Amino acid sequence: MKFLATRVLSILAAIGFSFLVQKLAEGQDSFTQQLLVLASLYVTLSVSLNLINGITGQFSIGHAAFYQVGAYAAAYCGTAFYPNWHGSPVVWLLLMLVVGGIVAAIAGFIVGLPSLRLKGDYLAVVTMGFGEIVRIVVQNQKVLGESGGLSVHPHLQQIWVVVLLAILCIALCRNLQITAHGLPFLAVREDEVASAAMGVNVTKTKVIAFVLGSGFAGAAGAAYALQLGAINPDLFRMDQSFIILTMVVLGGTGSVTGSVLAALLLFYIPEKMRDLSDVRLSVLVSILISVGFAVAAVRYVINNVHKPIKVRAAYYAGITAVTAVVITILGKILQLVPAFQTSVEGGKLRLVVFAGVLIVLMLIRPEGIFAHHEFSWDWLLSPLKKKRTKLPGVSA
Amino acid sequence: MLDLAPHLLAGLEISTLPQQLVTGLLIGTIYALVALGYTMVYGVLKLINFAHGEVFMLGAYAALLISWSLGYTPGNSLEHGSWMALILMLIGAMIVCALIGMIIERLAYRPMRNQARIASLITAIGVSLFLQYGGQIFLLNGTPQNIDPKVSPFYSSDPTVGNIQLTIKGPNKELLAKADQMSSLVDKAKTDYEAELKLEGGDEFNLQPKGKELRDLYRKEQRDLESAKNDANKGAILVNLPKGQVFMLGSVLIIMVGLTWLVMFTRQGRAMRAVSLDFDSASLMGINVNAVVTFTFALGSSLAGAGAMMAATFQSGTKIDTFFGVLPGVKAFVAAVLGGIGNIPGAVLGGILMGLAENLVVWAGYGGYKDAIAFVILIAILLFKPGGLLGSAKVEKV
Amino acid sequence: MNLLKLDKATIKFGGLIAVNEVSFEINKGDLFGLIGPNGAGKTTCFNLITGVYKPTSGQISFDGRDITGTPANKIANLGIARTFQNIRLFKSMSVLENVVTAGYLRHKTSMASAFFYLPSAIKENEQLKEEAMKLLEVVDLAHVADVRSCDLAYGMQRRLEIARAMATQPQLLLLDEPAAGMNPQEKEELNAMVKKIRDHHNMTVLLIEHDMRFVMSLCEKIFVLDHGEEICFGPPEKVRNDPKVIAAYLGEAV
Repeated sequence: MKFLATRVLSILAAIGFSFLVQKLAEGQDSFTQQLLVLASLYVTLSVSLNLINGITGQFSIGHAAFYQVGAYAAAYCGTAFYPNWHGSPVVWLLLMLVVGGIVAAIAGFIVGLPSLRLKGDYLAVVTMGFGEIVRIVVQNQKVLGESGGLSVHPHLQQIWVVVLLAILCIALCRNLQITAHGLPFLAVREDEVASAAMGVNVTKTKVIAFVLGSGFAGAAGAAYALQLGAINPDLFRMDQSFIILTMVVLGGTGSVTGSVLAALLLFYIPEKMRDLSDVRLSVLVSILISVGFAVAAVRYVINNVHKPIKVRAAYYAGITAVTAVVITILGKILQLVPAFQTSVEGGKLRLVVFAGVLIVLMLIRPEGIFAHHEFSWDWLLSPLKKKRTKLPGVSA
Repeated sequence: MLDLAPHLLAGLEISTLPQQLVTGLLIGTIYALVALGYTMVYGVLKLINFAHGEVFMLGAYAALLISWSLGYTPGNSLEHGSWMALILMLIGAMIVCALIGMIIERLAYRPMRNQARIASLITAIGVSLFLQYGGQIFLLNGTPQNIDPKVSPFYSSDPTVGNIQLTIKGPNKELLAKADQMSSLVDKAKTDYEAELKLEGGDEFNLQPKGKELRDLYRKEQRDLESAKNDANKGAILVNLPKGQVFMLGSVLIIMVGLTWLVMFTRQGRAMRAVSLDFDSASLMGINVNAVVTFTFALGSSLAGAGAMMAATFQSGTKIDTFFGVLPGVKAFVAAVLGGIGNIPGAVLGGILMGLAENLVVWAGYGGYKDAIAFVILIAILLFKPGGLLGSAKVEKV
Repeated sequence: MNLLKLDKATIKFGGLIAVNEVSFEINKGDLFGLIGPNGAGKTTCFNLITGVYKPTSGQISFDGRDITGTPANKIANLGIARTFQNIRLFKSMSVLENVVTAGYLRHKTSMASAFFYLPSAIKENEQLKEEAMKLLEVVDLAHVADVRSCDLAYGMQRRLEIARAMATQPQLLLLDEPAAGMNPQEKEELNAMVKKIRDHHNMTVLLIEHDMRFVMSLCEKIFVLDHGEEICFGPPEKVRNDPKVIAAYLGEAV
């Protein structure tokens, strides 16, 4: 009974939250609404890729392909069948999520098959190749609008649907992780031979991960198509896959909360950069140089200073302060050099900053923001607790 | 639903096949050069250097800027290039790329060496994006530019001078003779028309009836000549080899022989092979592993530089922008895997096969799928021979 | 009745015959030792039995069923579990999770119930954890249940491998050099533990070991391999005095 109550409450909370986001967004301009949609979609994409890449350890870098398959499935169905549809458009939208998910899941099944034979980098290449093949084949199909793309009917902006999709994806992955059913996935990542020896059906596990992960990506794609109103193959280039992969790794491979946070972060930074005003080249160069040194300093502290976290925090604060000062001074000095006096459009810096943040984060925290942990307040506060629990009975 | 087969091989023109194969071979050598860089780095570090395509791009920029500094700026009036200019560009691009490769390794990859491989891979992707988009700020504002083809001493606007023409099966001689006769008629019609044009004041859009008549006659003669030439050439199999590309092929061969010597017969090469077999043991045997890795990056990147310089100089109409390296990079990487990643002859073989396959697809009339064929081959190979053509799949020890 | 039977099992890698026409039978409740010098083909034998490799020729049957060439996970399902010579734990998982993972075969609820976190899945989860804790007590690791397995000391990792294998509830337990890297005291404890596993958990044990004293004091039957071929089989006393075995170990000509 208690179970039923909490379950009903949590489902209601999720739906309530989605509609709250929708309500809040309605007051905003369409650009902000679009951003909300995209942010939710990226969360779905990164969490679903995390299932394949992080949890099951199958190195897939073609996730945009499933996203594309879902989007095109929805767009094609919209053109072919929507005119005869007499139900509500919202029901159609939900239906399309299912259709996109299923079509992409089938694609995921096909791509999952090589994973039974290939490992690591080789699998990565095959998935990347699959992504490109999908894009190029679509680009050459008349029914799919070739490189011009398709316009999608109906064009529906329903923010709550994408928010709910993201929540569903997170919830499913999280549930999997906290029950014994999730362990075989991790086991396959850690050691296939040992997993099989323990009775784990490695084939089935991998295929399930691929099917589910790509299914969610497909549903996200379908939602994307309907929200955007028009799609074309260029929206699903290889760098999309890279961005999604980056979100997963940056969040910490295997960590669902990490994927969510990294997706929001990596989506937010470049979008924020869009309305950045012009930046002087001198400032840019000084930032580049100082951040380089700051990263080196932080790495030095990480590797060589074995002091309590509070002391290290002081070091980091010091480094940040020095970096800020150096940026200012160096910027002023460089401003004297004629070659550095020009300005750069802020918008152009979008992906440079993205790439820069990526490199810096990898250099100072290669295991990802959350590493293999999940976010919890205990975990966040653990470094502040004085007593470090010693492992009982562990010898050096 | 899929219209994969627009005309199902019906339009295959056997006479253009040799030309496509030769073009494929030439492009393939460039892929091979770039693939060598991927393969060597992978061999030593087990890292897919995703930024390799961007090193290639920077090599093309280096060649471009050197050509500009030699006076071949856009709109220059210089006549002909020289061997000197070509060699300067080649060496320059190679040195610049070697330096960039070393810097990338030192700053981005070395700190990641003890981390999970996926972390290094993400860093590599980061470096690649950083160079692509950072380049748009620092490199000519990202405006696409091309290297003036005149910088090559082999260049000529007249294809019969600039190309070596190989005749596999000549045109029909009788018809050709007929066409020759017609060309004198065309010349006559042309002089008549031009004389009349001058007489009428030189405005070709405002002609008297006589001028119009002469003009139409001239045009008709021209068309007839074209069709006669076409008739004569029907069934002829000709291969045009731009001289610059022959030079390119020669250089690539020399570079590859040099590389083989370096890897197989020198101390440094032996160290490289040792490191690629076992990183830790090699360092225990007194090999300076860091030096070997740096050297490998320098070498691999300089080959990309050479490839980039040649691709940008000898492929007519090539525009250089900061995404110049993306496609060649990906294809070269596929070539490396195709040949068996970590395997040097494999990379060369893979590169050439890739070039050939691509052009065969174009020849077969599926030009739209040109960029997909690389991956189709790749997936097929990996599924049936996972180690690549010349590589061997490792058996995991339990 | 015999539980496991190898009938002329052979495997070749390229030109190398790693295991050549090896035949033996293990009865229910045996403590069976498989010994031999390095490279004799002992681990390869294990790999043949557990389905990691497929024999080139010959037959392996378990509990009266032919299991030649059956995939590893199905063999585990039939009731054969193993440990690995070069420890293959699920490194980033906790000790408890390692053992729970091996309870995979006993999942009764479907994966969907896990996705939706249904009461049945929660209950099963708890139950598997409880069972795993019991096994950890058997191998004396209950106090480190929440430690990441790669942080354990070497001897503990070996014991965890045994607990993990036991969690599949096998009839036949294959131990690949369980005492490697242990000190004499740990070996004593391991000796007692293996006996206890056989007696209290009704498992038949087949083990590979290098430490002669350990094998002789533990096993009732010993099979000696050299260069992939049988050179001796019998109780410890017989094996100890067999000239071929002595020669194989000391490297003398027979």
